[in-house]
Amino acid sequence: MSQPLGAYEGVVGGAVMRQLRNLGDKLKGLRVVHVNSTREGGGVAEILDWMITLMRDVGLDTAWEVIHGTTPFFEVTKSFHNGLQGKAVYLSQKDWRTYWDVNQENAERLRPILEDAHLVFIHDPQPAALIELCPNRKGKWIWRAHIDISRPYHPVWRGLRAYAEKYDASIFSMAEFAQPLPHPQFLVPPSIDPLSDKNVDLTPAEIESVRGEYGLDPDRPLLVQISRFDRFKDPVGVIQAYREVRKVSPVQLVLAGGGATDDPEGKQIFEEVLEAADKDPDIHVLLLPPNAHRTINALQRLADIVIQKSTKEGFGLTVTEALWKGKPVIGGDTGGIRLQVINYYTGFLVNTPEGAAHRIRWLLHHRDRIPEMGKVARDYVREYYLLTRHLREYLTLMLSVLSGVQHRVIQV
Amino acid sequence: MVPFIVYDCALLTRMSGLPAAVNLRELRQGVAACQDSVIYHHFFETPLRPSFDNPDYRNDFAVWTKLQLSDRVLAERLGIIDPYSFNNIPELRRHLLELIDDRLGEVYQVPSAMPGSEFYFMEATTAVFDTGERVEQPGDLAGAVQRMTLGSVYYHFLEARRREPVEVDDFTVWLRDLGEEGEPYIRALNSIDFYFYGLIDLRRELVRVLREVGGEA
Repeated sequence: MSQPLGAYEGVVGGAVMRQLRNLGDKLKGLRVVHVNSTREGGGVAEILDWMITLMRDVGLDTAWEVIHGTTPFFEVTKSFHNGLQGKAVYLSQKDWRTYWDVNQENAERLRPILEDAHLVFIHDPQPAALIELCPNRKGKWIWRAHIDISRPYHPVWRGLRAYAEKYDASIFSMAEFAQPLPHPQFLVPPSIDPLSDKNVDLTPAEIESVRGEYGLDPDRPLLVQISRFDRFKDPVGVIQAYREVRKVSPVQLVLAGGGATDDPEGKQIFEEVLEAADKDPDIHVLLLPPNAHRTINALQRLADIVIQKSTKEGFGLTVTEALWKGKPVIGGDTGGIRLQVINYYTGFLVNTPEGAAHRIRWLLHHRDRIPEMGKVARDYVREYYLLTRHLREYLTLMLSVLSGVQHRVIQV
Repeated sequence: MVPFIVYDCALLTRMSGLPAAVNLRELRQGVAACQDSVIYHHFFETPLRPSFDNPDYRNDFAVWTKLQLSDRVLAERLGIIDPYSFNNIPELRRHLLELIDDRLGEVYQVPSAMPGSEFYFMEATTAVFDTGERVEQPGDLAGAVQRMTLGSVYYHFLEARRREPVEVDDFTVWLRDLGEEGEPYIRALNSIDFYFYGLIDLRRELVRVLREVGGEA
């Protein structure tokens, strides 16, 4: 459930509130439409849920439209998703026709509001073809790619690029995720919501009840990795690191995540993790339901050290979540983790289980550095990785796109 | 007395359109070919960008050279560059290219990054706006800075040095017009070696030195 802007003042302070309201004043009354493919479930819907509320709160006339699709359409767009992330997928003429037809049906319904808007944000590939189906566009159209398309399967990207090129601008989460396009490509990293169930402050009683539920010993150090059971998150490598550390320190390990049951590979990795854990009572492998946000929140707060030993990673929001809770993070030296984890300041970057074990031991040996690093981490997340920064960048982007110039400084 | 007008700014980063560099030679090509705004971004605008402050170096070229090319010699040479000491971006670019050329002449093998660790040439747009806030007296400046966003701190204390009158922050320009009353505050501001502060620490330091002058310390 999204919160009004004022609810964040206690977290980010009055200056940030005033800044957002000042920016909003410059855009007051602007008609903005966001389009994506689902109202619930998934990261994009989560972002839009708060973003629509906050954009309205600062004075924009903001709408959120969702395209209606058929099962074959979503099968095709799932293939798009895989193809854009580099998997070789075959798409037939019929598949492309299905994609076009569903976009056309949605265009019939949405055309008046889309063509009339000052700004239209189209999220991800599913509704990307709408631009071609709205020829009398009054405003600027922006394509927001939430996924990493740095190494796409080219037949898929070629087909989608034909639509993406028609936009006035695009947004990517990181430079590493982008593809060359003939328009401005803005970079807006993701963010976390400090008041969501995943991140909100919990009472000591709630945290302790999670400790009790999973039988965690309050007197011994706890290592926690929160992630899907996915090979790129290297959960088996985390167990190897834990075993190294166990030779000298009685640590406990929690590996918690969800999403394994409907994903054949995820299920296989989960079984490999159980096998590697070998019924060690101090390794807690938890398969959590998708809505276990408060449990994950509590586990991160219970941790002495949070691990995200990915070998391949997007931005790595679980790292941001841990840093926000004042925990040093031992993270894989990859993707967005590099932007967040700075050696000796907010944690350590590692490349191997041995490296992770070494850094865990270092932190356990220098216990006083854990809260120090945690404070630095929380301050930086407050400044750069909360949704208030994310909103500020969208508002700045609107001012930039509407100004029609790409000068280094624009007075608004 | 003319009040100090508090501005704020918000930065938005974008791709420059240049191909990413995977080794030192490609970095040189990019530095030679890019717009001034790219050089400006990687030297001056890093504190405003959503990324963690690098504790060693303040510009992206030095950080990448150290972390991804593992060339500590060049990283040290690039890391000490004070971009505020250059009159303009072409001069800064020329100095940067000379350092890279010198290094390319010293090494037997061109330093390269691993795939996935390329240097991305970026630039940014900064939207500047009047916050409606005014500071009436120098004694109120510390409290005003305390309430400022990091965008305001950047705009008035760092970005100002690239505007006319160059090399002077906006607070000092305002305080100069106050004559003797402003002098102790100007001396306090000048005592800050600002280049090595991140914006959070810079704001804290500004407040501290201004409060000392005002007797609030």
